[in-house]
Amino acid sequence: MANFLSTFLFFLLFINCAFSWKKDEFRNCNQTPFCKRARSRKPGACSLVAIDVSISNGDLVAKLIPKEKNQENTENGENPIKPLVLTISAYQDGILRLKIDEDQNLSPRKKRFEVPDVIVPDFVNKKLWLQRLKEEENEEGIFSVVYLSDGYEGVIRRDPFEVFVRESGQNGKKVLSLNSNGLFDFEQLRDKKEENEEWEERFRSHTDTRPYGPQSISFDVSFYDADFVYGIPEHATSLALKPTRGPGVEDSEPYRLFNLDVFEYIHDSPFGLYGSIPFMISHGKSRGSSGFFWLNAAEMQIDVMGPGWNNESVLMLPSDQKRVDTLWMSEAGVVDAFFFIGPGPKDVVRQYTSVTGKSALPQLFATAYHQCRWNYRDEEDVYNVDSKFDEHDIPYDVLWLDIEHTDGKKYFTWDRMLFPNPEEMQNKLAAKGRRMVTIVDPHIKRDESYYIHKEASEKGYYVKDATGKDFDGWCWPGSSSYLDMVNPEIRSWWAEKFSCKNYVGSTPSLYIWNDMNEPSVFNGPEVTMPRDALHYGDVEHRELHNAYGYYFHMATADGLVKRGDGKDRPFVLSRAFFPGSQRYGAVWTGDNSAEWDHLRVSVPMILTLGLTGISFSGADVGGFFGNPDTELLVRWYQLGAYYPFFRAHAHHDTKRREPWLFGERNTELMKEAIHVRYMLLPYFYTLFREANASGIPVARPLWMEFPADEKTFSNDEAFMVGNNLLVQGIFTERAKHVSVYLPGEQPWYDMKTGTAYEGGATHKLTVLEDSIPAFQRAGTIIPRKDRFRRSSTQMENDPYTLVIALNSSMAAEGELYVDDGKSFEFQQGAFIHRRFTFSNGKLTSSNMGTATGANNKFASECIVERIILLGLSPAPKNALVEPVNQKVDIEWGPLLLRGGKGKSVLTIRKPNVRIADDWTIKLL
Amino acid sequence: MNTIRLHNLLFFGCIFLLIHGITRSATSAPLKDSLLGVSPEGGFASSLSLSCPFCRIFSLLCVNVCIVYPKWCVQKVRLKTGCGADEIYYKGFSSSSAIKCKDGSKKFNKSQLNDDFCDCPDGSDEPGTSACPNGKFYCKNTGHAPVILYSSRVNDGICGKHALLLTLLFEMMATIVLRAFQTFVVQRSCAFERGLLLLAYCCDGSDEYDGKTKCVNTCWEAGRVAREKLKKKIATYQEGVTIRRQEIEQAKLGIAKEEGELLKLKDQEKILKELVEKLKERKEQIEKAEEKERLQKEKEEKERKEAEEPKENEIKAEVSESMQNDNIGTVDQPHRRVFNNYGRKLNLGLQDSAEDHHESANEPELSDHSVEDRLPNDGVEVNEGPVQKTEQLGEESTFDDKTGLDTGNQDDNIAEDTESLSREELGRRVASRWTGEKTEQHEEFDASIDKDHQNPDETPNETNDEENNGYVSEYDDHKYDDDDSEDQVDDFGGRIIMIQVLLKHPSLMMSQTYITGTSGSSLLEKIQKTVKSIFQAVNLFQTPVNITEAAHVRKEYDESSAKLSKIQSRISSLRQKLKQDFGPEKEFYSFYGQCFESKQNKYVYKVCPFKEASQVEGYSTTRLGSWEKFEDSYRFMQFLNGDKCWNGPDRSIKVKLRCGLKNELTDVDEPSRCEYLALLSTPALCLDSRLKVAFQATLF
Repeated sequence: MANFLSTFLFFLLFINCAFSWKKDEFRNCNQTPFCKRARSRKPGACSLVAIDVSISNGDLVAKLIPKEKNQENTENGENPIKPLVLTISAYQDGILRLKIDEDQNLSPRKKRFEVPDVIVPDFVNKKLWLQRLKEEENEEGIFSVVYLSDGYEGVIRRDPFEVFVRESGQNGKKVLSLNSNGLFDFEQLRDKKEENEEWEERFRSHTDTRPYGPQSISFDVSFYDADFVYGIPEHATSLALKPTRGPGVEDSEPYRLFNLDVFEYIHDSPFGLYGSIPFMISHGKSRGSSGFFWLNAAEMQIDVMGPGWNNESVLMLPSDQKRVDTLWMSEAGVVDAFFFIGPGPKDVVRQYTSVTGKSALPQLFATAYHQCRWNYRDEEDVYNVDSKFDEHDIPYDVLWLDIEHTDGKKYFTWDRMLFPNPEEMQNKLAAKGRRMVTIVDPHIKRDESYYIHKEASEKGYYVKDATGKDFDGWCWPGSSSYLDMVNPEIRSWWAEKFSCKNYVGSTPSLYIWNDMNEPSVFNGPEVTMPRDALHYGDVEHRELHNAYGYYFHMATADGLVKRGDGKDRPFVLSRAFFPGSQRYGAVWTGDNSAEWDHLRVSVPMILTLGLTGISFSGADVGGFFGNPDTELLVRWYQLGAYYPFFRAHAHHDTKRREPWLFGERNTELMKEAIHVRYMLLPYFYTLFREANASGIPVARPLWMEFPADEKTFSNDEAFMVGNNLLVQGIFTERAKHVSVYLPGEQPWYDMKTGTAYEGGATHKLTVLEDSIPAFQRAGTIIPRKDRFRRSSTQMENDPYTLVIALNSSMAAEGELYVDDGKSFEFQQGAFIHRRFTFSNGKLTSSNMGTATGANNKFASECIVERIILLGLSPAPKNALVEPVNQKVDIEWGPLLLRGGKGKSVLTIRKPNVRIADDWTIKLL
Repeated sequence: MNTIRLHNLLFFGCIFLLIHGITRSATSAPLKDSLLGVSPEGGFASSLSLSCPFCRIFSLLCVNVCIVYPKWCVQKVRLKTGCGADEIYYKGFSSSSAIKCKDGSKKFNKSQLNDDFCDCPDGSDEPGTSACPNGKFYCKNTGHAPVILYSSRVNDGICGKHALLLTLLFEMMATIVLRAFQTFVVQRSCAFERGLLLLAYCCDGSDEYDGKTKCVNTCWEAGRVAREKLKKKIATYQEGVTIRRQEIEQAKLGIAKEEGELLKLKDQEKILKELVEKLKERKEQIEKAEEKERLQKEKEEKERKEAEEPKENEIKAEVSESMQNDNIGTVDQPHRRVFNNYGRKLNLGLQDSAEDHHESANEPELSDHSVEDRLPNDGVEVNEGPVQKTEQLGEESTFDDKTGLDTGNQDDNIAEDTESLSREELGRRVASRWTGEKTEQHEEFDASIDKDHQNPDETPNETNDEENNGYVSEYDDHKYDDDDSEDQVDDFGGRIIMIQVLLKHPSLMMSQTYITGTSGSSLLEKIQKTVKSIFQAVNLFQTPVNITEAAHVRKEYDESSAKLSKIQSRISSLRQKLKQDFGPEKEFYSFYGQCFESKQNKYVYKVCPFKEASQVEGYSTTRLGSWEKFEDSYRFMQFLNGDKCWNGPDRSIKVKLRCGLKNELTDVDEPSRCEYLALLSTPALCLDSRLKVAFQATLF
């Protein structure tokens, strides 16, 4: 038996090796010289001191030099360590910016790369003009202090140099600090010396010439009064970041930020995936949240230190404050770091998105359900799938075409055998209010007959290899070159390609999907571009690698804006991302697998993206690789319906898995899950608008809504959709029961049955086949549209249902945002934004829109046909609608018209008030 | 026969009139009524007070039927057996002020009917609006067929006109109409409504009544197109039914004949068996005698061989060495030939099974050699040692070659091998993980070209068959079962001996006699005669061994046992065939031994019922599956366990059958990777049962 077991285990092991992540193909920290060096450095190793601290041009400036200058100089011989320039600036809303770079006046070998186009222009205007420098001195040294915001100060200690933000006052508590553990290191660019072994780097068959030698930067950042840190996507791991070093941590890699196309990634690893956002947010019970963002596009590795990691160190920081230490290491670039003071989680996210931008407001259709597969083979297949949705009365909004629709993987072309009439096809779907999406990747087939390649090579628009020739790598079409999207001229050229005239076979109802934009280079080191490839302005690929996909996404989204003459909001889904990607479109979590663990990890992955500004994200429903068993698929639909981006997708080796292929019962279950999403579209769209205005994500960790409730801090199985709805995933097969923690003091109402559950308690609930647990928070109002249509387009004029869940003081409030769902007119105030408040037995609708009040730019005849009251007693019989002064009935009705199981709920029947108007409804 | 024709005429006439809808006026009824489906139409239909669509169809039809059979109408239709449930349900409004939702969950009053607010979760209070998500909307579609829509379509701003759905709709309609009659007879439920719900649209635009969207009534035109289609379909069915009937007749004859043949063959087998036994005995006697003589000779032989031994070893060594070097130039000619063939065979065996056809194409040649091996030929005897040796070596070396090529698919190896790969190769391999395509496609292609070069005279099976003219007709008929049941190489060897025997004794050619079965007795007589003559001859000359006599006995033995094995093989093939499932009426009998082909782009799809299905591209064949069974009441043929898909399931194909005038394979598709779907039109599916039942039920 034991023998059998071990054989079986061996077999499992073999399967694991053969069919999953190719670990060896990617560098680990030990194989990455800068990471290895930085990790082996001891606390206090930094010998830099700040000198010449002063105020200049509204900034605090200083120079960093080694303490024992002479000794260092002689050691380095002809390459003396030059002083570094440090600049601290303060911005509105509690943002401190720290820059450290080589001194440009001392003519360094080359200007180090600073990532342009990420910081929104608006942010620059928020700079505070620092005028006064306050000097302090105590036993720890000399400090220079500047004002940051009311209650907060920015401080620099001279020796050893340390930068931190604290609450105002000499004994103010620290919030965030840099180099408190003395791990700061900055490798300056050097001339190549003969016989220098560390000059070139080799990994497997690839050689990196490293023409400027090692140029890495590393430093430690400490978050005070923090229980956990979060953020720095993209990793398939828990929401609260687990320590990668320290007692009890065995041999973990740091969290890696390096955009990579990882084949069959595993569900729990600090390994870097498709996108990178070097933004970390901390949270603790005693103070709240703070954030740290390093704008740097080179490879980054981040260690989260477990408590006691530096116990042996002589350097002891004050221990009265709870703290999480982190180590940040980057291969190149400069220090351009932002400290966000919080103190609430939403504050930090707002502060971060004030630097990198808020989420674009998607078109309404994009927030509905997307049907994708690699590949819908031909027009007949498309028509067939489309009509099957109708046949089963399952709504969907977008049908996707993967790479096989093209002529030989040449994007913007069609395989005319399979798709002889693409316009007609799109128009037929458009007639039912449905859109299509085609894929456009950044690798361009090196084929002289391909117009894109011809133009790009003639104009010199490709990224160059280290020798200056067009870089030639391998991707879907075979030999390919990659457009250098960092150059604005090339982006603008690219954007033109999306016009209906240039993109033959496209129509205005066609939108775009950017895949492989890490970039994926099948024969490159770590399946990407060599680090010594050259971009516009002689920037090495190593310096901007993580931003490559971002620029491609940007150029594509700009293309769609241009196509629509600035009147049609773009929809572009990207796999790679970087800070700022939220301004251009949606992202998804890449090539996941049809496994329960991947379903589970999709939640922390999406929540993390939301925390770091990217609100519009989702995971492939069903799992990309492999065949999900039916229960997993159904559960995935039930959870996916609450993802901000809701798309089913599948690898071409998998069995067909459109919702009607698993028997009547399962069809019904998946249809029901999709219907839940359509029903909640008004709520989702309102949340997308909130993300667009404030940066607060659609899907939120529980602690974002309940920052004082410790039990929520590491919960990544449940999440909030906006502030009204809590959703708990079911991540195990044949689950019978699930424990759901419902935070706060107020009760929660089961979305399906209307049953009330006490807040602040863990409930053991029976798991149902037909839905996953979802609860409406007491004190909130959710707008719904209960009529079902073929796509969101036809729901435009349908009436609303308001679900009012009353709290203990018989009050509730909620919002509804409506606009045309497609244009940019909303930016000029063409929208309806209502606040609904219920108190003292009276529901009031008031305008939340612009102060002008007279909001006649967007009109809607939509009415509220039904108002459901949860938690009200005793039951009134009638209600009075004002100002029309009309009595309406209150009766018992179902909570859900479809699939509802619970008892009847109080329903105000046909108040028929217009959502555009001010009105009140008084219970009698 | 004549009465049936008449009935057919009447029946189709009814349908024709029905779908023309000419007896009803095309004016639309007032909104609420039409939404409700309680249309107060005058005349016959209203006197029946039928409210559901089926009843409409029925009433319309009845009108037509009544023209011909007035008496029957009076009797039957008065029973008011229509879809009473709905009718009674909505009728309830006139008598009471509140009515229960169909599911009993709530009550609603008349003013709440179609008031655009959903009171009943089952939608029963809103049959004319979109208010209830489970609601159903009835659309009259005068001039076409009435449909029931999902409430999601009501006032959704989309006019129902989708050419795409048209054909599908009418395929369904034809069946639905027919089923409706059955339903009527079986019992008065509106079950078919559910069928109507699918794939339906409102061509009269009555679902868009809120004034926001103006829809043109396209029913007449759509109905006309549909009627044309339906007419065609009916014509096809009529003709198909006849063909089917003929085929069933033939199948019955064929099966009876084959069963008879099987019985006779069993008798013959018994007799032949005895004969062969006796001959064998005699042969052994002779051989015993010969043994003595040979033993003496062998002694001398042995001495001579021992002297030659060292030489031979050298050759062996040479062979093995040259094999490893993949260079056979140094081996002398006869060795090389045999060797080459074995090598090739092994190669092929190890090749991706997509290349299966090479294997079969090689058969004739291979079997040639096996025949040679069996002949009492000294030269071959000597060769046996080295041949076996090389077989092993060949296996090893080809295996090595294969693993060398295969690393692209073995993910583990990628890691180690990438260092030595060209950039392009690396790119391909990494790409192949996602695509599942083989990285060495071009190499394989080259290899197959090479193979073709090496064997320019390789001939496909058919050509080989033609060479054996006299045998072909029969052999051809049964080659499938033969191939299935026996090891191919051996079988082929045996066959060739048989062919030789048969060619020498044209009188024993069995095809005609077996099949007709009439001359069975004369054949037996013949055999018995031959046996007698042999034994007589043999008995005359006892000992010493006469060489010509011995040869004669041997020859007769060989021939008789060949005959026996032929008969046995025929028996097994007949048994094989007769145990197949040819359908309830044996309508699929003619499929046996047939293959249907369809060319789709670069592929030719070949479906051989009861055997296998394959996809042929140029010279490479991929097996899509072996015959499994009919499924879903003989409406699908399932083939399973085809060639393995990389990163996917074993290939399989489902063939959907539908009524057509001839057997024709179309629309091969691969909806999921390696799971194929095809459509086969065949008269076997032109079931008259439904037509007949409906027809008879209606009229009598």
